[in-house]
This record gives sequence, structure tokens and C-alpha cells, in this order.
Amino acid sequence: MTGRIASFRANSREHAASITVAALSGGFGVFLLQITAMLSVYVNHQNVAQHDTAQAALAILTVVFTAIAMYVGAIVTTNTFATIIAGRRRSIALMRLIGATASTIRQSVANEGLIVGIIGALIGVVVGVALSLGVLAVLLRTSVIPSLHYPLVSFSIVAPIVVVVLSTWAASWIGSRRVITVTPLEAVGSAAEASVGDTRIHPVRNVVSAVSFFVGLALVGIGVAAGQSGVFGLPIAFIGGLLSFVGLTLGAQLFIPWALRGVGALFGRSAPAILAAQNAVRYPERSTRTTIGIVIGVTLITTLTVASQTFNSLIQSAQAAAPQVFAGSTTILNVIAEVFGGLIGFSVLVAAVGVVNNLSLSVVQRSRELGLLRAVGLSARQVRAMILIESAQMTLTATLIGLVLGFFYGWAGAQSLLGSIARKAAGNGFVPLTVPWLFIIIAIAVSFIFATGASIGPIRRAVRLSPVEALATE
Amino acid sequence: MPVSVDDEIFVARVDRLTKSYGAGSSEVTALRDVSIGIERARFTAIMGPSGSGKSTLMHIMAGLDSPTSGQVWLGGTDISRMNDAELTLLRRRRLGFVFQSFNLVPTLDVRGNIFLPFELDARRPTEQERVRVESLIDALGLAGRLAHRPHQLSGGQQQRVAIARAFATEPELIFADEPTGNLDSRTGREVLAILSAATAEAGRSVAMVTHDPIAASYADRILFLVDGEVVDEFPRSTPEQISQRMLTLERVP
Repeated sequence: MTGRIASFRANSREHAASITVAALSGGFGVFLLQITAMLSVYVNHQNVAQHDTAQAALAILTVVFTAIAMYVGAIVTTNTFATIIAGRRRSIALMRLIGATASTIRQSVANEGLIVGIIGALIGVVVGVALSLGVLAVLLRTSVIPSLHYPLVSFSIVAPIVVVVLSTWAASWIGSRRVITVTPLEAVGSAAEASVGDTRIHPVRNVVSAVSFFVGLALVGIGVAAGQSGVFGLPIAFIGGLLSFVGLTLGAQLFIPWALRGVGALFGRSAPAILAAQNAVRYPERSTRTTIGIVIGVTLITTLTVASQTFNSLIQSAQAAAPQVFAGSTTILNVIAEVFGGLIGFSVLVAAVGVVNNLSLSVVQRSRELGLLRAVGLSARQVRAMILIESAQMTLTATLIGLVLGFFYGWAGAQSLLGSIARKAAGNGFVPLTVPWLFIIIAIAVSFIFATGASIGPIRRAVRLSPVEALATE
Repeated sequence: MPVSVDDEIFVARVDRLTKSYGAGSSEVTALRDVSIGIERARFTAIMGPSGSGKSTLMHIMAGLDSPTSGQVWLGGTDISRMNDAELTLLRRRRLGFVFQSFNLVPTLDVRGNIFLPFELDARRPTEQERVRVESLIDALGLAGRLAHRPHQLSGGQQQRVAIARAFATEPELIFADEPTGNLDSRTGREVLAILSAATAEAGRSVAMVTHDPIAASYADRILFLVDGEVVDEFPRSTPEQISQRMLTLERVP
């Protein structure tokens, strides 16, 4: 155990991101559950007729939002570990050379993951509980809620703690898969630079992904068609949407590298842009994992926004025809969409940690290449531009994919729910798509702000690099 | 700016160059009052045992590192007080590099690597430059490899790509740092012959850092460095003569 902790301490810098991710998603879950527990007391006290239903709905939503954040967190952590392993190939090879088995080494990496998960979960608990108590204090002080016997610490927070530890542990295990591909020979001599790209084929995953995507898409179609006649459209379209989106997430590696390449071309043909475009797709698996978290978040938020705005404008036009029927039904939906959007936004934050981490580790791992480029005349300015473009390429690609998907899902949702109303109101069964321009502009602006913020640290590190030292590193 | 007859003979030179690292009792002097010149249109080898300061000398002459004291000239330009941005432009436009290994950008194909100095300068090569680089590519036998990535090439091919890149912009001086260190002897000799021919036939200036007497035997002029000082200079010599000199250098107490 002492050996394990010693090795962990030596690697603590590499693990900062994974600890942050575990703390963020764990703390988020703890916070939501704490708030849910407090709300339950409040709802019970109110003696609302359907308080069981309200509590169940709260519990389900808490689980869903926490699960999204933790799933994104696990992807980020898997990626971080895979990247760390890539950077440690040489020392792993040395350990193999002196007789360690691949499985022992992988086990010890997973142990690091376990410790990372525990530390992150502990931080998450403290922060999550503290924040929830802070919120409670503010609500009590301002008399928004009556003074009742609220629990200080809910028993339920054990669940996110356990899940975040286990998921971080599992992520470190999955991420360390490449340990088994390291040969002892890599320790001797200056073995050739590892070949570019990791073109692992996942036949099973690809088939599951494709089936899930196309079946889901068909269900969305059925749901939209069913929406013309009644209310069964939405649940069918919802299941279809979920299925097709899971398919897309699983098969992300099949299309995200292409999208990155395409977006990379938008940044021009200057040397920094060309180098950045190549770097972003150098390890397709890594950049896919970095991007997908943002794609998930942006897709969900866009779906909610497009659905609620489309709903609003349809209701408004229906209201014009029959004011008394639809009075008051729009505001509550807007509030729900905003609250849900904010909660999903948290998983985008977790994904952003992944972008920062991907950039910093990739700068460290290609310091030799940066040294070479500086030697042959890449200026400090060009280094800055290159890393900023790399960052923007990832966040912008993710945002654009998320916007496109979100539009489709949002429209499909509105169409399947409101098709019959649209038929009555407008004659044809098409719900007019409302384009939330402001939202699009904000989303793209935020993606650039994220990109800039994420690149600050890595840029500083890359510019500080002395070409002579970088060229001397092994 | 003192323009002397030296500038016609020497493409680069250092004057009373000293380089030390650290401070106080832990100060290490890598170069001690070195004054040498690299001759134009010639192949110069800088030899010395490990730790002799030969790499530091190259790095300073190439604008990759800064001197503690003394002056460094490239042609008529004093580069010893240049800032990072100026040195970057100098390396990009006026110098070429061939390193021992990891010479190429792994994400760029052969063509991308060779034309990198132009790309970095945000300009297209002129027609004349393009024709010249294409003939260089042919001469180095890389014509069929232009779409390959570095990891698809042998070590010798990688070095030839690096040489093509280094010569692409017709720089005033090319630095080669143990260019054959990672190659088998036959491929190494090919690379040395290319560098040697570039000076003899095309009038390029090459400065090579090496500790290999066979590599140094391809040079027109050999400078010997020991403990941060230039201790000897040879004209073109046989590997045996160079080895002999190296052995006596190593034996110096």
C-alpha cells in the first residue's frame, strides 16, 4: 500500500484532471441529492395531493442528470488514462524489461485510478454538501421556504460517492488497455516514433452502434408520424431519440475525426492551422473521446431549447386562434427548459476539463516535436496560434455537431408531441421549426471562450519550452 | 558593424564565446573563450568526446541557445543579442537543420515536411525554388515517397527528407547534429556523401557535430573540442588520423 501511494504521489500532476473530474461529477450528484432530500421534506410538508409523484419525478431527474455528468466524466477519465499510458510507454517498457508482467502494471495503473476516484469523491462530498447547505441557508434566510426539519446530510449521497469511485476505477482500467501493447524492446535504443493514429477496429461496437442508430431513427420517424393523430408520438420518438443518440455516441469514432478534419479546414492554410488540424486528428480515439462529452451536452441543451421554443411559437399561434384553451402553458415550460439546460450544462463543464487536459498532455508528450518545429522556425506566436486553433477545432466541432443533432431531436420532439395540434391550427401537419438564433450565437461564442480558456495553460507551457531541452528529451 | 575579409571566408563565426550554466559553486562552463569560424561552401566537422561542448557550440551558433559572453555572427549579422522572435526568423530563413533523430513532423507527409520552411514563412515557393526543390527530391530518391508519413520510411529515408528540408530554402548554413548517429554504416555513408557533395558541387556550407571519426573523414576541415575549448584543427583526414587524434585528446588528464 505504501508503494502504491508513493507511485501515486509521483504521478499526482498527471492525475489532477481525473481528480477534478471525479470531484465535479461526484459533487454534482451529492449536491443534487441533497437538494432533492430537502425538497422532499418541503413537498411532504406542503401536503400536495400528488407528492409521491413529485418525489418520484425529482428522484428520476436527479439520477438522469447525475448519470449524464458521470458518464461524461468517465469518458474524460478513460481518455486521460489512455493519454497518460501513451506518455509512459518508455518507462512501462523498462518495467517489462526487468520482468514485470503487463497485467501487474495494468493493475497498478488501475490502483492509481481507484485512489483518484476516492480522493475525487471525498472532495466532491465536502463541496457538494457544503454548497447544498449554503443554498439551504440562503433559502431559509430569505424565507423562500419555511423553516422545517431539513436533513443536514442525506443518506442517499452514498450512491453518487460509490458510483464515482467505481466509474473512475473502471475508466482507469479501460484507459490503461494499451499497457498490454507495450513491448520490453521499446525500452532499448531509440525505438521509432510510435506510428500515428490508433486505428483499432471495434466490429461489435460498430454493429451495435449502427443498429441502435438506425432503429432509433426509424422509431423517431414512427413517433413523428404518430404525432399527427394523437399523443403517443412523443414517447415513441423519445425512445427512438435516445436509442439513436446512444448509437451515435458509441460510434462517435466513425464520424468525429472526419468532422474535426472538416472544421480544421475552416481555420485556413497557414502553417499553424495545418499543424493544428493534423494534431487534432493524430489520435482519432483520443480526440473523439475529448469531443464527445461536449457533443452530448450541447445536443441535449439544444434539443430542449429548440423543442421548447418551437412549442412556444406553435402555442402562440394556436393561442391567437383560441386564447382561453392555451393560456399560461408556455412560461412553465420555459423555466423547465432553462433549469434542465443548466443542469446538463454541468456535464459540458466536466467535458471542458477533458479538453484542457487533452491539450496539456499533448503539449507535454510532443515537446520534442515542438522543439524541432521551433528549431526550424516556428515562432512563439505560431505556437500560440497552433494550440489555440487545436482547442477551438475541438470545441467548435463538438458544438456544431451538438447543434445539428439538437435541432433534429428538438424538432422531432415538438413534431411528435404537437403534430396533431399543428394540423388543427395550421392545416398541414408540420410544426414550423423555430430557429433560436440567439441561442446558436451564444453556443458558438461560448465554445470559442472555452477554447481560449482551455488553451491558456498549454500555450504557456509550450512557449516556455526551450528548443534545446525539448530536442534532448527522450 | 565590423565587416572584414573574414566575412568572405566565414559564413559564421564566434568570437571569445563563453557559455556557462548555473551560478556560484555549481557553475559549469560548457564553452571557454572559443573563437572559430565556419568556412563558406565547405563541409566542417566539429568533433569532440561527450561533454566537450560541441553540441552547445552548435546550438549557440544556430540561434537555439544564447551565449553567456562573446559574439556570434552569421554572415555580417551579430546574433548574440537577438530576441526570440528575431532568432526564429533567422533559423527559418537563413539556417537549415539535420538532427540525429526525430527530424520530421510525424503528422505531415514527406512533401509537407520538405516544404515546411516555406509554410512557416507563410509563403509559396517561387517557381524557381519549386523546380530546385523538386530536383533535390529527385536527386535524393524521394520522388516516390512524397505522400508517405515519416513512420512509413526507413531511417536513411527519413534523414534524406530532413536533408531536403534543410536545403529547401538554400540557407546560408546547414547544421547537422550527429546526422548518422541512428543509421547503419552503409546508409550513414550515403548521407555523408550527400552532405559532402552539397558543399563541393552546390557550394552549400555545412557544419556537422559528430564524435564519429568516419563521419568526420568526409569533412573538408575538422575542429577538435575538449572541455569547452578548441584544441586542434585538421584539414581533410582519414578516419585513422582522426581516431588517433581523438585518442590522444581523450588521454589528456
